[in-house]
Amino acid sequence: MNRPPKISVIVPFYNEEDSIGPMYAAIVAAVGALQIPFEMVFVDDGSNDATALRGEELAKCDARVRLVKFRRNYGQTAAMAAGIEYATGEILVTMDGDLQNDPADIEHFLAKMAEGYDIVVGWRYKRRDKLVSRKIPSKIANWLIGKVTGVHITDNGCSLKAFRGSLIKNIPLYSEMHRFIPAMASIAGPRIAEIKVRHHARQFGKSKYGLSRIYKVLLDLMVIKTVTSFTSRPLLWFSLLCLPLTLVGSVALAAGLLAGMPGDGGMSLPLTGTGIIFLSAAVTLMASGTLGELIYRLGDVRPEDFARLTMKSVNSGRTAK
Amino acid sequence: MTADNNAALVSVIVPVGDRQTPIAELYPEYKSGLRLLDTPYELIFVLDGPQPAAESTLVQLVTEGEPVTVVSLTRYFGEATALMIGFEHAAGSVIITLPAYLQVEGREIGKLVAALGDADIAVGYREPRASSWLQRLRQRAFHGLLRIVTRLSFRDLGCNARALRRRVLEEIYLYGEQQRFLPLLAERQGFRVSEVALRQSKGDRHDDMYRPRTYTRGFLDIFNVFFLVRFTKKPLRFFGMIGVATFSLGIIELLYLVFERIYFHSPLADRPALLLASLLIVLGVQIFALGLLGELIIFTHAGGTKDYQVDRVIQYAGAVAAVAESADVAGKHFDNENSAVISSLSR
Repeated sequence: MNRPPKISVIVPFYNEEDSIGPMYAAIVAAVGALQIPFEMVFVDDGSNDATALRGEELAKCDARVRLVKFRRNYGQTAAMAAGIEYATGEILVTMDGDLQNDPADIEHFLAKMAEGYDIVVGWRYKRRDKLVSRKIPSKIANWLIGKVTGVHITDNGCSLKAFRGSLIKNIPLYSEMHRFIPAMASIAGPRIAEIKVRHHARQFGKSKYGLSRIYKVLLDLMVIKTVTSFTSRPLLWFSLLCLPLTLVGSVALAAGLLAGMPGDGGMSLPLTGTGIIFLSAAVTLMASGTLGELIYRLGDVRPEDFARLTMKSVNSGRTAK
Repeated sequence: MTADNNAALVSVIVPVGDRQTPIAELYPEYKSGLRLLDTPYELIFVLDGPQPAAESTLVQLVTEGEPVTVVSLTRYFGEATALMIGFEHAAGSVIITLPAYLQVEGREIGKLVAALGDADIAVGYREPRASSWLQRLRQRAFHGLLRIVTRLSFRDLGCNARALRRRVLEEIYLYGEQQRFLPLLAERQGFRVSEVALRQSKGDRHDDMYRPRTYTRGFLDIFNVFFLVRFTKKPLRFFGMIGVATFSLGIIELLYLVFERIYFHSPLADRPALLLASLLIVLGVQIFALGLLGELIIFTHAGGTKDYQVDRVIQYAGAVAAVAESADVAGKHFDNENSAVISSLSR
């Protein structure tokens, strides 16, 4: 490539009236020095302070600023998703609006992207947050996310990430999944790299996230696992679910029928009944699997379509005789 | 008829269903109210099912040159459907919906439009309201239940006099009898809702008992809205929760039975409690499977995953530091229906 790719810096803001100005200045200072074309997509996530107003002032002074204003507060994932939707760059860099990430790190991300990676994620190796309420839960969550999704990333919670635009724009992001973006993107099999980033303590405002999100993270993890592994073969998945039911059902049924064989009392009703219940559940589950297969065929998003997002092809442009 | 050159036009949609005041009485009342608005207006009557008498009166009005459109449906499709069809024929930037019977006084229409202000939808409520104790109880129960279920509070969703901006109906899809919940769905979609007190019309009296069927339907409606609002985008969260809870209950009971079998030697095979445990386990698995199917539907239909609404996108093309590269971006219009690009104040 002769021409440097265009960069979009995406920053969601929620009640960060004090941070948006310094953030803008820091981005312009850091990315502007690189002499590459770039734009900034600021997303106002339904703030009820002057964030939107400040953002609009910035947009008035600088054509590179685009402010996407939400109707109400939808959360960080939605803000990231909207930023990605409205960004026009070839490389998208996302970061937090609270000044804890350092725009000076963007340079390293771009260097890594130039090596051919599709996603580069940051790792706050010297994290400046509270130990008990932030760091420890985050360690556990990262370990769990790696285990369940198979995408091992040291620090999923770090918002500073870079993506190839053509890839990430086609990955569905929903619910509270911003920490799972790489995991979600794994359905396309991207090349992921990890680099260390600086992390600053919070200067303005207060943290919007606490321990309460653990429950949501667990549920989302379940959804991700489902979506990334189950969606492409619903029938297989349901069959797997059927297996233990069929096993338990058959054993119970056999035991129930045999229980009374020697003579007194006849067969055991509860045991036979249990067997029948489990077996019939296995049958309805298989039916659900068939239904799933039908939905999958009629739908317009299929995981195999994602293959095209990350593929690379090389040919000589000639045919042989 | 396009919306662009009708900035000041107000379109009034009147779905005409079972309950109606004769048009000869209704029309002058609404007309007198609309004339006070001092803006151009049009009325769209949608006849929900064959109503020869009303139709001939309305057609008569059309031939007299009144600003009336009459749309007739061949059978009853529900008030919300009638409303959506009326909207397809509406050209105004502001839409007013009014019931086909005198619920509020005609001259209150102005208040409704005024209340719109910078909100997206203004919802009327009848105040002061003449009603029997039964009616009041019914209304309290309905709105209370709705508040618990959706965490949104409204005063009078039974009042169909509402003013709304075009974009509300462009975005919200209604069917059946959902028009009642329009303010609720609009608020969930991030629109600003305002409420305004309207004087109740003397013709609005409905003291008779409803049939049990009506209550059942009202209850099911709430249930339906509950799902629409809370879980259509996260089926696995909902079904998964119930499923896992049921499953766990079953497992706990089973473990208890096994424990008793081992330590107290009460025979496992003869106990009906075993049946209950296995039923719970199986039910849990099946409910969870339903959640999986729901999630599959959401995932495979691309439109279902977007869960934010953009108010507007702001970018100034003529701003100072216009880099050559960003110039091609600035002029571009995003063809996202939820957004408007404020562009080019070029100097």
